[in-house]
Parts: sequence; structure tokens; C-alpha cells
Amino acid sequence: MEATLLSLAHGFSVALQPDNLWYAFLGCLVGTLVGVLPGIGPLSGISILLPVTFGLNATQAVIMLAGIYYGSQYGGSTTSILMRIPGEAASVITCIDGNAMARRGRAGAALCIAAVGSFVAGTFGLLMLTVIAPPLATIALRFGPPEYTALLVLGLIFLAYMSSTSLVRTLLMACLGLVFGMIGIDNMTGHFRYSFDLAELGDGIGIVPVAVGLFGLGEILATPSKHVTGEVISPKFREMLPTRQEWREAIWPIGRGSLLGFLIGIIPGSAHIISSFLSYALEKRISKHPEKFGKGAVAGVAGPESANNGASTGAFVPMLSLGIPTGPITAVLIGALMIHGVPAGPQLVSDHRDLFWGFVASMYVGNVMLLALNLPMVGLFVSVLRIPYAYLYPLIIMFCIVGVYEVNHSIVDVWIMLIMGLIGYALRKFSFDPAPLVLGLVIAPIFEQSLRQSLIMSNGNYFIFFDRPIALGLMLVCAILLGLSALSFVLKRKDWRDRLAKVEAGEG
Amino acid sequence: MTLRADHVAGGAFVVFGILIIALSGDLPAGQLSMPGSGFLPKIVAVLTIILGLALIVRASESPTFATIAWSDGAHAALVTVIAVVATALYTKLGFLITMASMMIALLIVVERRKPLHALAYSAAVVLATYAVFVYVLKTPLPSSPFTY
Repeated sequence: MEATLLSLAHGFSVALQPDNLWYAFLGCLVGTLVGVLPGIGPLSGISILLPVTFGLNATQAVIMLAGIYYGSQYGGSTTSILMRIPGEAASVITCIDGNAMARRGRAGAALCIAAVGSFVAGTFGLLMLTVIAPPLATIALRFGPPEYTALLVLGLIFLAYMSSTSLVRTLLMACLGLVFGMIGIDNMTGHFRYSFDLAELGDGIGIVPVAVGLFGLGEILATPSKHVTGEVISPKFREMLPTRQEWREAIWPIGRGSLLGFLIGIIPGSAHIISSFLSYALEKRISKHPEKFGKGAVAGVAGPESANNGASTGAFVPMLSLGIPTGPITAVLIGALMIHGVPAGPQLVSDHRDLFWGFVASMYVGNVMLLALNLPMVGLFVSVLRIPYAYLYPLIIMFCIVGVYEVNHSIVDVWIMLIMGLIGYALRKFSFDPAPLVLGLVIAPIFEQSLRQSLIMSNGNYFIFFDRPIALGLMLVCAILLGLSALSFVLKRKDWRDRLAKVEAGEG
Repeated sequence: MTLRADHVAGGAFVVFGILIIALSGDLPAGQLSMPGSGFLPKIVAVLTIILGLALIVRASESPTFATIAWSDGAHAALVTVIAVVATALYTKLGFLITMASMMIALLIVVERRKPLHALAYSAAVVLATYAVFVYVLKTPLPSSPFTY
């Protein structure tokens, strides 16, 4: 514990350097704007701005990108509460009671509770991350190819199990991602695969053109400006502080949401989205006044907003300690580290202490910045919401093209982004969630290499995945999850995932 | 039989899986003890076909193909065409001319905004972005053939 505290103190000495403070602030500010603006989620925001970090060192880059991620969780609540339009997917559930509070004249209080809940959950998540990540990384150093293969299979199955779309749809998306991830030179044999004689495809398809295309351009194609309308409720500054009764109603939901969010965040999947829904369901179930939910219940804002921030911090645990992305956003962050020549995974803690601890410490600082940023500057964010979408999306398309091109100075990447935009548009039409595709793309090289190495180690015997205790344990969890999914399919049971799907579709 | 969304989606995935197998023809699958470069692609392609078929089998749970709303189709097509033209010209005409033209086209053709507003907004935004990338971030952007 003492070693952890000393390392954290070292991290603060890195995070509090003026340059790093500036990039943390910039990340938080941009993240809040990304969260506030409907149509740009944290994934597209991070992807579009990834090339901007190329001139920075790895520590500054990851500090800024992570700031965008957790900043967007803060900002997402603003549009939900003031316009009943979720700034990003995790804030869908906040629309219900947040906007109802705003309509009762309590917009300021709802924003304040959301910001304080986010701060508490983010800080709690960071404390847990500080304690859990280093020992987990030590354990992960004992992982061999079979354990990594089993872990990645578990990640994909967990994603499919937790997803609000069906198991088949999620696995199809993951398969598509795996195929895209196998384009280029095979690392083990040197064969070119599916590169169609394009030298640019030799290194494979990058995560940036895929993520920007699917989530940035795809969203714009599916959103004509005439569909983006909304009345903005402007909160008055004197109404910002909640009453004593509202604080009392918020305290326990914030505590429960923080814990629940963090635990779900560690699990692969769109954790920050799922956590907010589960927190809402939990608060409604244990509330003495469930009838208030949907009509402006404080717990309906405090719980979900805390949970989605706890989850976004929790997602950093497997990313930093195991090098395993739990979702598309952490996958892009791993991609960012790789671009800067830093491998994510257990070695990060031991070999890149400055980066790891500086990053962890910067998130403590970032949380304080966000609290200071979100409450006094809510008026500014409200004015951003008044920019007509018709003027906004051409700007986003320009950033998509410039951002993707700047990664490798390759126009082929821009073409890939355009194709992915069309694929993203088509996937939306057919009710597919593109997130598992990005995850599949990122894990494809690690998965293929560890699978093939495992088979070579065992001379072609698949039992290697059941001989070793850690791999066996992970495989058993996979079997249980697949069994539960099959049971749910056979019984046609309507569970929380169906309700989540309905809420995401705007039927809730 | 009513054509449903998942019939079309499942069919597309089956075709995609077959295409991957066809394109993997010259990639050696190897043996289990020494898997080749075609080993995993073929497994994933077969899995894609199986899952695509599963989607077709369960298609009755999906909405009919005719009910999928394509009202945003014209917007998507116009935006795509303009973005494709901009991409094709980007390295030839450079950042300033291409991006300003793309934004003007999007604002006038797609959004029916007043030409003067579109022109002013596009010029301001493109010049500001150019200044940020080139002078603040020190990241070179493609230059126009008219620049010396």
C-alpha cells in the first residue's frame, strides 16, 4: 500500500506539470463539449481528435484523450436534462427524470446533482483503480497465450451477453471486426491477406478510419438536420444549488451508482451505457416512492449519472493492467498508446511508470476540473447547444476527413472512413450496434497470435485451454454465459436487456 | 413469404462469409499444430455464414423490410457524394480549397442556406482550422497547386 501511495505521489508530480495540466484541462473541456453536442459521442470525439495528439508525448496524449472520455460522461447529462436529447448514449436514461426536474424549474439542481454524482463516482472509481490495477498487472504477467486467448473469447462473449441487441447480432459484428482486423500482412508467415495489391493495406486497417467512419460519419448520414430540433431550458444560476431534501435523496443513489458503475465498468461491453440503466432500475426497485420515477425523481438522475462515470473509470482497470479493451473507447485509447509506441498491458505499470501513474493522477485532477467546469460554465454549454446542427455537421465532416488523413497522410484511410460511414449507416438501418465491430478489429491481431501460439505450444491440442487453471476458469465462465444466453433464448424471457433496447430506441 | 429486415441482413452476411472464403483460397490454413495465415479467417468466415443463417431463421422477429424508414436516404446520398468528391480532390487541390468548397456545397446544396452566409461561415471555419493545424499544432495539411 505504501508503495502504491508513493507511486501515486510520483504520478501527481507528473500530472501537475503545467503542460500536463493544460492537456488535462483541454481534454475535459473538449470532452464536455463532445458530451453536450448531440450526434457526437465520446468514441467519435476521441477518434476525430486522435491525430491532434500526434505532436504530444504519450503521457500528454493519453491524459488528453482520457479527459475527453470522462469529460463526455459529465457533459452528456446537460443535453439530457435541458433538452431531453441525450448528448451521448450513457445519458439516455437521465433524459427521463432529469428533464422532468427541469420542467419543474429544478434544471440547475438536476445539473448540480449530476455533476456532483459524476465527481464522487469518478473519484471513487479512481481510488479503486489505484488499488486494483497494479496487483492485477502483476498477475497478468503470468498469462501465456492460452490465458490471453481465453480472456479475449470471454471478452467477446461477455460483450454479446451484456449487449442490448441479440447474441447473434453482436457476434456477427464481432466477426466482421475480426475479418477487418485480419487484413494486411500476417505477422507469423508474412502472407498478404485481402490487401488487393494496395500497399497501404499492408499494415492493416487502422482503428481511426473505422471508428470515425462508423460512429462519426455514420451518425451524420443518418441524422438530417431537420430531425435535430429541441427546446433548450436555460437554468438560472441562483437555482443551481439543490435543496437539503434533494441532497438527502441523492446521497445514497450516488453511493450505490458509484459502486455499481465501477463493477460493471470492469466487465467488457458498453459498460457505461448498461450501468446507467441498471442503476436506474435498482433505484426504482428499492425506492419508497417508485411512482415518482419518470416525474422528476432525484434518484433517477443521481444514480445513473454516478454509475456511468464509475463505469468509465472502471473500464480503465482491464485496459491499463491487462491491455484488454473492455469496449470500443478503451480500444481506441489502446490504439493511441500503440501509435505513441507504448504497449498497453501489464508492462505499462512496470516499464512506463511515469505514464501510468501520471495518467492515474491526472484523472483525479481532471475530476476536480470537471466539477469546476461544469457548474459555472453551464450557460456557455447551453449557448453551444443553440448552434444549428446544419452548420455543425459540415464542420464535423471536415474534421473527420482531416483527422483520418493526418494519421498516416494516407488518402486510402479517408476512403476506408467513407466506406465505413456507409456501412455504419446501413448497420443502423438494420438495428446492428457497430461497437463490437471496433472491438473485434482491435483484438483480432492479439487474438489470432495468441490462438496460433497456443496451438503450436500444444502441438495442435485444443485441451491446452482446459489444462491450465486460469484458462479453464475463463472458459467455464464463457460456457456459463453462453448457457444463460441459450436459456434466455429458449424461454423467450424478457429481461433488462430488452428494456434497455427499448429505452435506447426511445420507447422507454 | 414477407421479406423481413433480417432476411436481407442475414443474406448479406452469408454472402460476405462466402466471399471471404473465396478470397482466402490461396491462403494456407496449415495444420492444427502449425496454423497458417488462412486458419482464423476461414474459421471466422464459416462462423459468419452460420450466424447469418441463424439471423435468417429468426427473421420473423424483425420488422418487414418495407417498414425500414429511408426518409434520410436523400440526405445521406447527397452528403456521401459531396464527401466522396472532396476526398478525391483533397490531395490535388489541397486543404483550403477542397474543404471550403465541401462546406459551401453542404450548406447550399444539402441545407439550402443563403449563399452569402454559407460562404462567410465556410471561409471563417476553414481558415481557423488551417491556422490551428499549421501554426499551433505544427501539422502540415495538403497544400494547393497554386501555393508556392
